[in-house]
Amino acid sequence: METKTGWLIDLYEDPKGDVVLWLLTDHDERLCLHMELPVTFYAAGDFAILRQAWMYMKGKNVVLARTIGRDLFTGNRDVMSITAPNPVISITLFRELSNQFPELDYYNADIPLSLRFIAHTGIHLLGRCKLSIEASKATSFEPLTSPWKMAVASIPLRIMQLSLDEDPAYAPPKNLRIQSGRMNYIIPLNNPRLLLILLSAELRKLDPDLILTDYGDTWLFPKLTQWAADLNFEFNPNRDVSQTLQMKREDSYFAYGRVIYRGRQALLYGRWHIDSHNSMIVGESGLEGVFEQVRVTGLRAQDVARKSPGAGITAMQMLKALQTGVMVPFQKQQAGNSKTLAELIRADRGGLVYQPITGIHRNVAQIDFSSMYPAIMVNHNISPETTGKPNAPEGLIPQTLRPLLEKRLAMKKLLTELPPNDCRRKVLKERAAALKWLLVVCFGYLGYKNARFGKLESHEAVTADSRELLLLAKDIAEELGFSVLHMYVDSLFVQKDGLHAPKDFAPLLEAIQHQTGLQIALDGVYRWVAFLPSKRDPRTPVANRYFGVFQDGEIKVRGIAARTHNAPQFISDTQLGLLDILAQSEDPADKIPEAQAYLRKQLERLKQGKVPLQELVVSQTLSRDPTVYRVKSPTARAALQFVQMGRDVRPGMRMRFIYVRGDERVKAWGMPGDTYVDVEQYILLLKRAANEVLDIVHGENRLEPLPMDQALRSLCEPLLT
Amino acid sequence: MGNLVPTAAQQLTDTEAQLSKFRHTLRASDRYIFDGLFAMARRHIAAMSQSDALLPFESALLAIVLEQAKQIAVLQQKVEVLEARSIRGNQDRLAH
Repeated sequence: METKTGWLIDLYEDPKGDVVLWLLTDHDERLCLHMELPVTFYAAGDFAILRQAWMYMKGKNVVLARTIGRDLFTGNRDVMSITAPNPVISITLFRELSNQFPELDYYNADIPLSLRFIAHTGIHLLGRCKLSIEASKATSFEPLTSPWKMAVASIPLRIMQLSLDEDPAYAPPKNLRIQSGRMNYIIPLNNPRLLLILLSAELRKLDPDLILTDYGDTWLFPKLTQWAADLNFEFNPNRDVSQTLQMKREDSYFAYGRVIYRGRQALLYGRWHIDSHNSMIVGESGLEGVFEQVRVTGLRAQDVARKSPGAGITAMQMLKALQTGVMVPFQKQQAGNSKTLAELIRADRGGLVYQPITGIHRNVAQIDFSSMYPAIMVNHNISPETTGKPNAPEGLIPQTLRPLLEKRLAMKKLLTELPPNDCRRKVLKERAAALKWLLVVCFGYLGYKNARFGKLESHEAVTADSRELLLLAKDIAEELGFSVLHMYVDSLFVQKDGLHAPKDFAPLLEAIQHQTGLQIALDGVYRWVAFLPSKRDPRTPVANRYFGVFQDGEIKVRGIAARTHNAPQFISDTQLGLLDILAQSEDPADKIPEAQAYLRKQLERLKQGKVPLQELVVSQTLSRDPTVYRVKSPTARAALQFVQMGRDVRPGMRMRFIYVRGDERVKAWGMPGDTYVDVEQYILLLKRAANEVLDIVHGENRLEPLPMDQALRSLCEPLLT
Repeated sequence: MGNLVPTAAQQLTDTEAQLSKFRHTLRASDRYIFDGLFAMARRHIAAMSQSDALLPFESALLAIVLEQAKQIAVLQQKVEVLEARSIRGNQDRLAH
C-alpha cells in the first residue's frame, strides 16, 4: 500500500458502478483510482404503500431499513432507507421504484456523485488530499485543505488551447490553432484526416488536463466526431479511454425574465473540456473563477463551467444537507402559505427603489451594502425552517451561506489592501467575482419554484428586511444632514454641502454599519453624476439610469447605450468618447463645444463610409422562434436570413446583423453579398445615443447646488416648529 | 420569481393605460399637464410601494398632491421674496 498527496481533479462513475477518481499528484502524475461508494436514498409516505414498496425491493441488490429522517419543512419522518452498493444501481432502482410507487415522497435520490463523495470523505474537488492506494483502489482519504481557506496553492494543470479563426455561426472556419505552453501552430481544417491524426498525436504527447476551446461544444467536437465517423478513424479525446465523448443536447430556457440559449456540450472523462464561448462563468470570472466555484460548490469543473450559478448554490445546499443529516427532497413539496389579500399586498414586494432626483449633482457619494441579501439571510437567520421562529437555531441556508459570505468579504477586504500593481490582484478578483455570482443568485433560489429548499415566506422576509434596512440607512443619512438623491435596493447616493473627500463619508458609513449590523462600503465619490429622466417624459425620473465621473476620473454608466450589449460598437464607443470629454471638467457643460465637435467628426466618418463594418454590427437576443413573429422585428428578419443560410437558430441566441438599404432593411452578419449600409439609420442611432448624454448637460445651465428636497426642508421647518 | 401583486410602478402604468381615453379626450395643452401629474406620482414610487393601501391609486393621488404642495411652497417663497423686494423698493422710492 502506498500513499499519495495531490489534487483531486475529477470524479465520475464508470459503467460498472465504481467511482473513478483522478488525482494530480505532487510528482506531476495523473493517477486513475477507483473506489466503492454505497449510495442511500429514502422513501416516505403512506405506511401501506411503503410496505408494498418494501416487498417490491426485497430480494434486490439493496439493504433496506426502517429509520427516521429529517425533512427540512415537516420535521422528522418515518422513512424506508434503500442502500444500493453503487451509484449506478441506485439510479436504476430509484427509477424503477418511483415509476412503480409515484405516490411516495423520495429523498436523496438525485444528488450529484461528487457531493456524495465529498460528504463521505471530506475531500473537495480541486482540494489537496492524501490517499492510501492499493492496486489502483483508494482505500483511505484525508483532506489536507478546506475550500473556505483564502490561500490556495496554484494547481499545475496542463492546458491545451484550441481556437478557430472564425466564429462558425457566421463563417465556416478554415484553420485550427493549437496552443500549449510554447507550442503554437495552425492546422488547416480542409484535410480532416490529417487534422485528426495530428490532434490525436498532440493529445497523447501533451496529455492535457484541460482542453480550452473556442466553440468546442457547439462546433469543433461535433465536427471532429462527425469527421472521425466518416473516415472510420478512432478519435477519443478522453484521458480515460474506456469512455467515449459525451455530447449533451442544446436547449433554450427562461430565466431572470429572458430567454437563454445553452449550446450543445462536449464532455470528457479524466480531463476537462471547457468551451469559453459556452460558459457564462469563464466570461465573467475566468478560469480561476471556475476553479473557485468548483472548490466551494462541489460540482465538477466541466459542470461548473456550463451551469448557472444557481446550480452551484443548489449543490452547496445539498452538500450542507448531507453533512447535517437533512434529507434532500427529490421534488419540491412546499408551496407558499395561503394569505389574505392584505397580507399578500404587504408581503409580495421586491427591493426598495427610491427614484432619483434628475439632473446633474456634484460631490455625490455612492455607498453600497456588501452582499446585502445574503448578509440578511445569514445575520437574520432566514431559512425555510426558521421563518417566523425568532429563536430557532441557525437554519440550513444561513449555514450554507455563512462561510461563502465570509470568504467573499475577506477577499474584498484583501483586494482593497493590496497595492494596485500587486500580481495577486487578478486571480483574487476572478475568485471574488465567482463567489459574487453564487451570492447574487442565492436569494432568488429561496423563492424559485423548483428550488429544493425554497420557501416563499423566507424569500419575502429577505426583501422585507432589505427595505427596512435601506429606510433605516436613509434615516441615518438624513439625520446626519445628508440629502439622499437615489436609492437602489442595496445602494444609496448621498450628498452634503462641503463634503467631497472619501474620508468625509466615514462617519456616515460607521453609523449605518453600527445600526444595521451590515457591512456598507463607499463605492466612490462622484465629481459629478447625472441621473437621467425617462426618454418618454423628461419630467419622470427613472431608476438606475445614470452616468458620472469619480474623483479619480473613472467613468461609471448604467442603463445607457454604452452599457447595453445591443448597441453597435461604433455607437457605444462614440457615447463613451463623449463621456470621456465631459469627464475632463468639473462642470461638464464647459465641455459641450468640444463634445459636439467630436460628435460631428464621428458623424462625418459615418457618412463617408469610414467606419469598419464590424463596428456597425447590432447584436440582439432572439426571444422566440423567428417564424412565429407577427410583425417581423429586425432581429426576427436577421434570424430568418440565418435560417435560409442553413444555420441552426434557437430562441435565446444572439442575432448579429447590419442595417442595410432595401426591402429587407437588415442583413445577417456573415451573409455573402454586397452590403449597402443604411447610413440614415445609424445616424439616427448615433444621435439618440449622443442625446442620451448631452441633453441633460445642455439642460443644466448650472450645477444644482442644493437638491429641491433640501431647499424645501429649510423652507418648511420654520413653518412646522 | 415573479411577483403575484403588480409593483407600484406597474399599477401606475396600468392606471395610466385605463385612463388613455380620458387623456385622449383632453386638449393637447391639458394632455401635457395630465402627463406631468403621472410624472409627479412616479417620483414617489418607493413611498407608494411601501404603503399598504388596497386602492393603490389613492397613494398616487397623495403623491401628486405632495408634489403640488412642494411647488406651492416654492412659489409662495418666491412671491414672498418678490413682495419683500417690491415693498423695499417702494419704501426706498418714498424715502427719496
